[in-house]
Amino acid sequence: MTDLMQKPETKILILATLAGGYAGADATGQSHLDYPSNTYILPVMCPVMFPPEFFIRSFERGIDGILLMYSGTDSPYKVEAAGTAKLINQSYELMKERGIDIRRLRLAAICTVCVKPFLKEVNNMHTLLKGIGPVSAEIKPQQAEAQRTLP
Amino acid sequence: MSEKPKIGVYTCYCGGNISHTVKCEQVAKVMADQPDVVISRTNMSLCSDAGQSQIEEDIRELGVNRVVIGACAPSLHEPTFRNTVVRAGLNPYLYHHVGLREQDSWVHSCDCDGATCKAVRLMSAGVAKARFLDPLEPIRLEAEKQALVIGGGVAGLRSALDIANQGLRVVLVEKSPFLGGRMAQLAKVFPTGEEAQRLLSELIDEVVQHPRIGVFIQTEVVGVSGYVGKYGIDLLQHGRGVTAENGEALAAGCTQFVPDEFNYNLTERKVIYKPYQGCYPALPAVDWDHYDGESILLNGKKEVLQDQAQPYQLTVGAIVVATGFDPYTPHTGEYGYGELPQVATLAELIRHLAVHPEAKSLRWNGRIVRDVVMVHCVGSREIEGVDALQEDGLVNNYCSRVCCTATLHMIEELHTHFPGLNIFDLYQDIRTYGRGHEEYYRSALSSGTRFVRYNGEDRPEVIAALEGDTHPVLVHVKDALTYNQELEIPADLVVLATGMQPRQIDDLVRMLKVSRGNDRFLLEVHPKLRPVETAVNGVILAGTAQGPMNIQESILAASAAAAKVVSLLGSGQVELQPFVAAVNAAKCDGTGACVEACEYEGAIALETLVENGKEVKRAVVTAANCSGCGACVSVCPNRAIDVQGWTLAQYEAMVDAIAMDIVDLVEAE
Amino acid sequence: MTKIHVDALVVGGGIAGMQTALDLGDQGYQVALVEKEPSVGGKMITLSKVFPTLDCCSCITTPKMSAVAHHPKIQLFTYCEVDRVDGQDGEFTVSVVQKPRYVNADICTGCRLCEYECPITVPSMFDRGLGSYHAVRVPFSTAVPQIAVLDIEYCLLCGKCEKVCPVGAVDFTQTPETFEIDTTSIVLATGFEMTDVSAKKEYGAGRLSNVIDPLMMERFLAPTGPYGRVLRPGDGMEPTTIAYVQCAGSRDETLGIEYCSRTCCMYAIKQSMLISGALPLAEVTIFYMDIRTFGKGYEQFYQNAKAMGVEFVRGKVASIQEDENHYPIVRVELTEEGRVVERTFDLVVLSLGMVLGDPLARFGLQPAEDGFASLPSVNASPWATTRPGVFVAGTAGGPMDIVDSIVTASAAASAASAYIRSKTQVSIEEGEVAYV
Ligand SMILES: Cc1cc2nc3c(=O)[nH]c(=O)nc-3n(C[C@H](O)[C@H](O)[C@H](O)COP(=O)(O)OP(=O)(O)OC[C@H]3O[C@@H](n4cnc5c(N)ncnc54)[C@H](O)[C@@H]3O)c2cc1C
Ligand SMILES: Cc1cc2nc3c(=O)[nH]c(=O)nc-3n(C[C@H](O)[C@H](O)[C@H](O)COP(=O)(O)OP(=O)(O)OC[C@H]3O[C@@H](n4cnc5c(N)ncnc54)[C@H](O)[C@@H]3O)c2cc1C
Ligand code: SF4
Ligand code: SF4
Repeated sequence: MTDLMQKPETKILILATLAGGYAGADATGQSHLDYPSNTYILPVMCPVMFPPEFFIRSFERGIDGILLMYSGTDSPYKVEAAGTAKLINQSYELMKERGIDIRRLRLAAICTVCVKPFLKEVNNMHTLLKGIGPVSAEIKPQQAEAQRTLP
Repeated sequence: MSEKPKIGVYTCYCGGNISHTVKCEQVAKVMADQPDVVISRTNMSLCSDAGQSQIEEDIRELGVNRVVIGACAPSLHEPTFRNTVVRAGLNPYLYHHVGLREQDSWVHSCDCDGATCKAVRLMSAGVAKARFLDPLEPIRLEAEKQALVIGGGVAGLRSALDIANQGLRVVLVEKSPFLGGRMAQLAKVFPTGEEAQRLLSELIDEVVQHPRIGVFIQTEVVGVSGYVGKYGIDLLQHGRGVTAENGEALAAGCTQFVPDEFNYNLTERKVIYKPYQGCYPALPAVDWDHYDGESILLNGKKEVLQDQAQPYQLTVGAIVVATGFDPYTPHTGEYGYGELPQVATLAELIRHLAVHPEAKSLRWNGRIVRDVVMVHCVGSREIEGVDALQEDGLVNNYCSRVCCTATLHMIEELHTHFPGLNIFDLYQDIRTYGRGHEEYYRSALSSGTRFVRYNGEDRPEVIAALEGDTHPVLVHVKDALTYNQELEIPADLVVLATGMQPRQIDDLVRMLKVSRGNDRFLLEVHPKLRPVETAVNGVILAGTAQGPMNIQESILAASAAAAKVVSLLGSGQVELQPFVAAVNAAKCDGTGACVEACEYEGAIALETLVENGKEVKRAVVTAANCSGCGACVSVCPNRAIDVQGWTLAQYEAMVDAIAMDIVDLVEAE
Repeated sequence: MTKIHVDALVVGGGIAGMQTALDLGDQGYQVALVEKEPSVGGKMITLSKVFPTLDCCSCITTPKMSAVAHHPKIQLFTYCEVDRVDGQDGEFTVSVVQKPRYVNADICTGCRLCEYECPITVPSMFDRGLGSYHAVRVPFSTAVPQIAVLDIEYCLLCGKCEKVCPVGAVDFTQTPETFEIDTTSIVLATGFEMTDVSAKKEYGAGRLSNVIDPLMMERFLAPTGPYGRVLRPGDGMEPTTIAYVQCAGSRDETLGIEYCSRTCCMYAIKQSMLISGALPLAEVTIFYMDIRTFGKGYEQFYQNAKAMGVEFVRGKVASIQEDENHYPIVRVELTEEGRVVERTFDLVVLSLGMVLGDPLARFGLQPAEDGFASLPSVNASPWATTRPGVFVAGTAGGPMDIVDSIVTASAAASAASAYIRSKTQVSIEEGEVAYV
């Protein structure tokens, strides 16, 4: 299983709304367009649920870049556009305090057939991380002890 | 979490679509070694009957109580597999779907190892989430199988009838003393030429005779509480002031006259009145707004009438708003309206002709009319910076959609009744868009109507002619059909094709918490996804309260509204997805940040509870009003609130699984 | 012969038919939805972005498509055509022909391996002939159901697909099969077709390579389209001057289509706005007689287009020819200036109108003068056809846009539901109105 032991240099977490980015990622797949494989997409209903600490925690655990792909003003939720923007700004403050490059966290409006914008965001983040390196260069990763011995 | 998780993990080949890139067997092997995983399998195509049966068997035989599937996009087969686990007796929310095709194999086809690593991480994240899955039930709310329809115009009537014909009970509330709304003020209607009042009375008959419809006339909605399925409604019904026995006699004895708004104040009527012959109810009513309180002679006795208003309360599951429109009233001086006696609106002309059915010639204010000028788009299609602002500082920049056809229809009527009239039609675009509408345009062209096309930036002007002129008014207009030639048209009558605006329903808007658009009409959630529903669950729109429409369109919207009401309430239960906020009372200390963050009315509130003999404040969610957006989750300092099915703990576990090195994953035995 | 019993049969799986089926299904009725193409979605699924909100069309259509496929009360029959409707008054027997897919729909998983293997490419009708697909294929990426269909007309019978199919679904022996549906009510949602591009000789009768129909432009603009960008079909050049000819096929007595098609003004404006987005240098001119932006929010949409720089020219286009390099030349009578001019463009789009999609005779219905279903009482029951129990939804009842199609679809569902109740012994609660 040696080929599995390889570690990708960086890891990009993509939190994508079901009504937007997640469907956009599916559309990209339907078009069979390649992008880097260090991208981990998790579906979310609406990103306003994430407190800024969540992003910090993710960086501390070793996530190198986070793309928040939301539906912006097209969202089915009233608060999505304004609320998410606010949380992201708060997160930037916390990131600055901790010396994390704020470009590691990015908010992008992606709709269900936004294939090109999706690719652009992913590739930009990938290129950025190539340049600035893993998050461990900026903060000491805190591998979750609890997670090694899962409940 | 009650039972210990026993997770079944399934990695699908998707007939090669996934397995050509992702080494599915390796993924399955790593997954098999994860804690709590009791079985990890691969399959050529899981969605096939055989694949689904395998999952069912594992649930039954191995006691699998959480299912994680890595396959095509969840949007394709999530419902399929939810049904699969349900068939095997598992709660549908104890299943998690990971997209390995659209988001992995299809996009990393040149990077098999990378794709396999990604699959391992995504599947581990799925397993991590599965540990935190709780069984969920859809939120079921008892729904009152009764609807409220506000407004007794053609839209409200049709909506009420359609809802009742589908088995629900309906309360129809009309503010004025008579049913029918604006349609009753029309004569023959396009595109069929039928008599509006006859069409209406057929509809009204069906409505008032329907066993499941209760009609409240002269009634206002004064209070709204509750939520979808169970709205509490307060009504106030004004007294009619007369009885079946004394109604006609009182009306006969009444001597107070007021302008008759049914005829747009062209005529007067008594303060105890019927708007027209054949109206419903046939009993006269007292116009309380104008009644001067003086006594009325009845059989030699003096009677003073009093409004004995009666309150009612009812519970309804849904509310249809069909409060209709008002014709636009031009400002004084707009095209000479209100200043020059020979300027009228189209609505006024319709009433004028209806009041004088036998007239051999067209007269306006006593004057024989030979030259008529019709002006389109009055109070519609206004341009900011060009047209005067309306009272609220906006311009009516929308098209009122009925006025073009109504105007051309009127031209046909005028030509039929008063041959020899000279008619000029001043328009921007002729919008006879509907079936049977273009015919009126062609008819007007062939009957010799002179069409003049004006430009919205340069509207026609109506001025008084000099004394002694052949005609009382002059219309100045630049005609784009003849190279912007300036015309001066002498006219005996100028008819303004005024547009539509919503009725004044500020109180109702406030009570129902519905939104209005820039055009002030009530706003739908989404013109295509949910064209007749408002953002407030259970509040539905019908007819011209939503925007300009003709009769046919109002009826269609009303029936569509009925379909929504019946879908919502037909089963007696309203079912909402369980993804709503839930408070962990043990962690909540009543800070109330969640209440502040929430944008949904009535979704979350602080309530005083007694805990260990002490009064404490705790956040309480009303699931029916919660959208599940999670704005409360991110602000809670105690992590005491979560969106069910999408908890922060689940996300953290997923992030940890993704962040973990594969070495650790492989070794995490 | 198999026989199916339902409360309502919806014919046509465009946006209107899907909405009617969903509304009826949500109310608990058994519904059969019959669609003659291999996938539901109708014309709408081929569009790019849709007015007036300019949201992307797939985002609105695909959830409805999968909803009809997964609804427990809806039986979906794709690639099936209604042949005949017998019976009356709430007791209809409808015979339906299942066309052969040459793929076993019960076991096909939509993995598309057959498609990748097929050596034949065929002009894609989904892309209006602009792109291509294989003789065996899943109809398009978001098709519902995701089941392959084999185009026997183009098939070489090489058998490659049969060999590669992991579940053995390819079956060359299929033949058309007829089955019957017993139903209480029928909703006709068979939709529209565009007016014939070749009918108007003056506009080149469909033979000018850079004069296209508007659905082609939709495909150029669609994110799922064949090229992912706007180009001239004649030579692949990116156009910089584009003209729209309004009422090309409507309001035209010489074509016998005197009515207004009511959507073409709006889609032309929409497309111009999208073109301005896709090709920032492009200049779009719309030649029109009347701009009919009558719907909610539509006038504002028109004004926005004007503000964006779309040129609106009032004039009747007399003819379109092309120069030696196939650049279309538009000859137009400018009413505002009173002269006739000729202007050359890179690309011309004809704003074609709408005609009835499918003949009415097999449903026992009479067309009205305009060819669409005759509706005898539009000001009382605008969904009712001449045949009791048969209702109409969407563009089968006349030209209209998506918003109106959806509203008429829900209205037809309401009417059908009331009708079904009146014909069957649904236990109706005869409750009186309750108030306290
Ligand atoms: C000049 C003119 C000519 C027209 N000619 C034609 C034609 O020929 N053919 C055609 O198809 N259409 C025509 N129309 C359009 C037609 O009048 C409308 O489509 C139709 O009347 C709309 O019906 P409605 O039920 O939506 O609204 P309305 O008729 O306005 O009914 C609304 C009802 O709600 C009641 N209401 C309001 N507020 C409240 C409240 N708070 N509580 C309780 N009740 C309330 C009102 O009293 C009224 O009875 C014409 C319109 C105009 C202006
Ligand atoms: C170029 C263009 C652009 C447009 N853009 C917009 C826009 O931006 N916004 C907007 O609102 N509207 C737009 N429209 C209008 C929109 O396309 C229509 O309003 C809508 O698609 C009509 O839907 P429908 O369901 O009535 O008909 P259709 O989409 O035609 O669906 C009818 C369905 O019935 C099936 N069928 C037909 N006959 C049978 C039969 N005998 N048996 C079984 N099935 C059958 C057909 O295969 C089809 O799937 C546009 C139209 C065009 C031409
Ligand atoms: S329908 Fe005609 S008159 Fe009325 S606002 Fe629209 S364009 Fe003007
Ligand atoms: S909608 Fe516009 S282009 Fe289409 S027929 Fe009507 S007026 Fe002509």
